[in-house]
Amino acid sequence: MPQLTAPSLVVIGNSIFVSLLLVGTGAWLARGGLSATEPSARQNVGEWVLQFFVGKAREMAHGEKRDQIMRLVTSLLSTAFLFIIVSNLVSILPIPVLNRPPTSHFSVTLALALCAVVGTLIISARVKGVGKTFLHLFWPNPLQWVSELTDVMSLSLRLFGNIAGEYMTVALVLMVVPWGIPIILHALGLIPAFVQALVFTLLTASFLANAIHVADEKPATAESTEEATASAVAIGRVPAEGRS
Amino acid sequence: MNSVLLALVAVLPIAIGAAFASYAMRYVSTSAIEGMTRQPEIAAQLFTAMLIGMALIEALCIYTLVVTLVIAQKL
Repeated sequence: MPQLTAPSLVVIGNSIFVSLLLVGTGAWLARGGLSATEPSARQNVGEWVLQFFVGKAREMAHGEKRDQIMRLVTSLLSTAFLFIIVSNLVSILPIPVLNRPPTSHFSVTLALALCAVVGTLIISARVKGVGKTFLHLFWPNPLQWVSELTDVMSLSLRLFGNIAGEYMTVALVLMVVPWGIPIILHALGLIPAFVQALVFTLLTASFLANAIHVADEKPATAESTEEATASAVAIGRVPAEGRS
Repeated sequence: MNSVLLALVAVLPIAIGAAFASYAMRYVSTSAIEGMTRQPEIAAQLFTAMLIGMALIEALCIYTLVVTLVIAQKL
C-alpha cells in the first residue's frame, strides 16, 4: 500500500516541480511586457486563464476597496486552482517517480486548506479590519471559530481522499494489469482532477464572499459593474476588447 | 482472526457511506437537471451550485474512506 501520511521526499520534490512549472509558465506568458491596450498573444492566453477568477472576484467585490479586494481574491483563487489542477494532472505523466501527485499526500492538502482558510481571514482583516474579523469569529455565533477548523478539515480531506483514492486505484490495477486498462482509469481520473480543483476554488470563493461581506452595503449597480470592468482592464487582467 | 475482523470492519464505513452518499447525490443531480431543463438560461449557475452541493455530500463519503484507510493500515 502506498504511504499516505508520512512526509516523503518524493512529494516535496513533486510539489516544488509543480510550483516551478507554474512559475515558469507564468513568467514565460508575461515575457515581453504587458500592455492593457494591445495585449500580445501570450498575454491573451494568460488573461484567458485568469478571466474566470476575475469574474469570481468581481462578484464579491463591492464598495470603495473594490480594486484591492479584486487583486487579493484573484491571486488567491487562481493560485489555489492552478496549483491543484497541475498537481492532480501530474499523475498522467509516464515518468516513474514524478507521477506521484502531490495532492495525494495529506500534508500537502492540509497546507493548501490552511492557506485557503488563513488567507480568507487575512483578506477579511485587510478589508474589514482586524477587530471586526476577530469579532466575527465569536459574534453573533459564539462557535464560528469551530467552523473555520472544520473548513480546514473538510477542504483538505476531500481533496486528499479523491486524489489519493484515484492514485491508489491506478497503482493497485497496475500491479495486476500493467497494460491497457490503466489508460482507461487515467482517462476517468481527469474528471475528478478538474472537478476537485474547481470545488476547492469555489468553496474558498464562497468562504471569502462570506468573510468580506459587509452587511450595510448596497448591491452592485450597473455603474459599479462598469467600474469594476474598467479597473480589471487597468490592472491588466482582462483584455480591453472583452469588456461588456 | 483479529485481522479478518479488522478487514470486515474496515470495509463497513466506506460501504455504508457510499451507499447513502449516492442516494443523496440522486436528489442533487435530479433537481439540478430538472432546473436546467426548465430554465436553460441559468444552467451555468445551477451547475456551479450542483458541484458545490455534490462536493459537500462527497466530503462525508470521503471521511468514511479516510476512516477505512486508517483501519486498513492497521491490518
